[in-house]
Amino acid sequence: MIAIEIRRVGFTYPGGVRALDSVDLSIGPGETLGIIGQNGSGKSTLVRHLNGLLRPTDGQILLDGTTVGRRHVAELAALVGLVFQDPDRQIFAGKVRTEVAFGPRNLGLRGAELDRRVTAALEAVGLAGTDEENPYDLGYSRRKLLAIASVLAMRTPIVVLDEPTTGQDLRGVARVRSIVAALTAEGRTVITVSHDMRFVAETFRRVVVMRAGRIVLDGTPADVFGEPSWDVLASTYLEPPLAARVGARLGLGSTPTEARLVEALAARA
Amino acid sequence: MPASRWANASSGTVRSEKPADPSPGDSGRAARGLPAYVLRVPTGTYRALNPLTKFVIALSSALVAFGVRGWTGPLSVLVVTAAIALIAGVSRSLRRFVLATIPIVASILLVNAFLYPGATDVLFRVGPLAATGTGGTVALQATLRVLAFALSVAVFSLTTATDDFLADLECRGTGRRLTFVVGSAIRTIPAMGSRAVEIVEAQRARGLDTEGSIRRRLRGIVPLAGPMVFGSLAEVEERTVALEARAFSAPVRRTVMRTLPDGSGQRAMRWLVGLGSIAAVVASIAGRFPLP
Amino acid sequence: MTLRLSAVTYRYAGAQRDALTDVELELPAGSVLGVVGPNESGKSTLCLVASGLAPVVVGGQIRGSVTIDGRETVGMRPHELAQRCGILFQNAQAQLSGTASTVFEELAFGPRNLGLPLGTVIERVESSLETLGIAGLADRDPDRLSGGQAQLVALAAILALGPDILILDEPTSQLDPQGTRLVGEALRRLAHEKRTGILVVEHKTALLDELADRVIVIDQGRLIREGASVDVLADPALVELGVEPPPRVRVRSALAGAGFRTPGEVDALLAELAR
Repeated sequence: MIAIEIRRVGFTYPGGVRALDSVDLSIGPGETLGIIGQNGSGKSTLVRHLNGLLRPTDGQILLDGTTVGRRHVAELAALVGLVFQDPDRQIFAGKVRTEVAFGPRNLGLRGAELDRRVTAALEAVGLAGTDEENPYDLGYSRRKLLAIASVLAMRTPIVVLDEPTTGQDLRGVARVRSIVAALTAEGRTVITVSHDMRFVAETFRRVVVMRAGRIVLDGTPADVFGEPSWDVLASTYLEPPLAARVGARLGLGSTPTEARLVEALAARA
Repeated sequence: MPASRWANASSGTVRSEKPADPSPGDSGRAARGLPAYVLRVPTGTYRALNPLTKFVIALSSALVAFGVRGWTGPLSVLVVTAAIALIAGVSRSLRRFVLATIPIVASILLVNAFLYPGATDVLFRVGPLAATGTGGTVALQATLRVLAFALSVAVFSLTTATDDFLADLECRGTGRRLTFVVGSAIRTIPAMGSRAVEIVEAQRARGLDTEGSIRRRLRGIVPLAGPMVFGSLAEVEERTVALEARAFSAPVRRTVMRTLPDGSGQRAMRWLVGLGSIAAVVASIAGRFPLP
Repeated sequence: MTLRLSAVTYRYAGAQRDALTDVELELPAGSVLGVVGPNESGKSTLCLVASGLAPVVVGGQIRGSVTIDGRETVGMRPHELAQRCGILFQNAQAQLSGTASTVFEELAFGPRNLGLPLGTVIERVESSLETLGIAGLADRDPDRLSGGQAQLVALAAILALGPDILILDEPTSQLDPQGTRLVGEALRRLAHEKRTGILVVEHKTALLDELADRVIVIDQGRLIREGASVDVLADPALVELGVEPPPRVRVRSALAGAGFRTPGEVDALLAELAR
């Protein structure tokens, strides 16, 4: 499993917009990281640098100690799997199975190994048995899960999920959480870009907050959503979860999730 | 109190940068005019002409450029177009259009100069090929025609905003559906572009090779075209419903909002130029065109 | 204006099953009705049926009645529906006409379609801009707006037609927290100041907690819960029904579960924080 180094990375779009400015970030192998921030903060731009879709204007990205350089995106896709927000901008196959096989097939897999991967990926997202169905008969929630499956089948050491919970219902979000847990158990690095503060606080061990192309907060959910960080959070127009505000009000320290709140109460009692 | 920290955050960034209107929403207020950024009255002698006038000029020029035999037709169009370009201040932009015609012009020149059938007045030789005077003359004239046509189209598009052209057509009675289709097609193309980019990115992220050999790139056609087509089709249905929800099918004459200035002088010019160019072409075909 | 659905059953053209069965609801003027439920439960269908677009534009078969102030929507033409009941979907860009160079012209699109006199068109546009607080966007290109701004423009474009009822299908799902807040505030103002009746489908129960007077839960095309939003959103069975309770309810049950203080004290604390 591999480490990611983002060193003083800056990125300016061809039109002149400076989307990233001097971003430094080290992500160890097997870490879980949630990146939050308003639209335009640079979070989606940043993760597109990990698989080479965008190349930094300044600075470097290193994967496992080697710079990304000008390596083809197709090559980097074997290391970094990126699931996009809109499943309908990638689904093209008439059958679920074909869609999931696309990724690993591009990586050179065939035959029995390919079949194993596809079946395992479909199971992991809760779509076992839908192999022969048309993706568009599945409904939006399940198509989002299908998109995740198509990247899981590539068994990349790093998995990036771009807004995996938008438009998802309760069951869908629970499924995404269990997928992240399973990936973490395998030692893979999981990174998410998300607006869903609760999803991030409960599922990821590290949170990075971005504003105007820079990282303004970096730490555990307790650090980032604790009272000392509230001024910075307010400057990004983000609110800490209610559990954090209640915990602070009750003098319990930083309690970014309901579970932590309950623990802190029990500890004090 | 922590709560007040976020009270400011909720004021958002959408607040008006303009000063507030003095009497917003009062009944009994007289109807106000359209703001300047909607009226978008074009400035400049030529640009301020009605779009239909500019269109008739362009069409007539194109007609004369190809329809009148000899040198006068194309040359006169070139002179007029150049003059218009100068008046309208678009001469620099015109250079791009000229450059765009170079491949066609070059091939016309070469083919006609060297391969004109039956010509015997050889000027010089290049290997087995001979450049003839007759061929050269034909080539030059053909080149002028192409240039004249291209430039008159170019000047039209550079001096006429599509919105203005469509608004004028609508004033003159074009149905709302046709206007809508043309108008939205023009603006949809960039939007389709950004959707295409997203699709390409998503497929590349799954290992589709768009940077390698041609054969590998060809494999990408279905994964790239598929979502584009399905997505566009799905969007068509959404858009149809959304349009109906905005009263698109109301059985009344749609309110005209922008009117482009027109006048009897321009009307007369349109008839004059239009009929004049038709007359020139007819005369030329009948062999009675007096000039070379 | 009151929107009423009575014993409504609806099936899409060519479908094997009913998408909605026996739905009953009432939306009085100035009230906000939240709709929750798992995905594919019929929430979007409910929006199309409530707005009259199904079956008038979308086709399909309907039983029961959908009425606005007593008048059946089935017999209305799309442009008549549009003036009584507006509908807003998730994807703002797909709802914009794609033919306007400025936001002003985008908002004028609807009133112009109705053939209203130019002075009235201008009034409607300016009134919508002002109601939603987006007068500053009037000269902008609709294609170059942020998600939240585009959604507000789409909303203003609907309002320009003058409906007293608004149906919204997950209006904030594609928006960031700030965009969500802008839309939420706009809806609150519409309900309270303009007495617009609002039906809004949302996954973000936190938003409904603040905005909705009543909430209904839909599953498999049927209405399975209905009541005041404080009651429905605090229902312990909500999770089993496939709906995420709002943070206020979750924190309250977490605190109660830890035996911490009485419910009254918890509510007071939460109310204090909400200010």
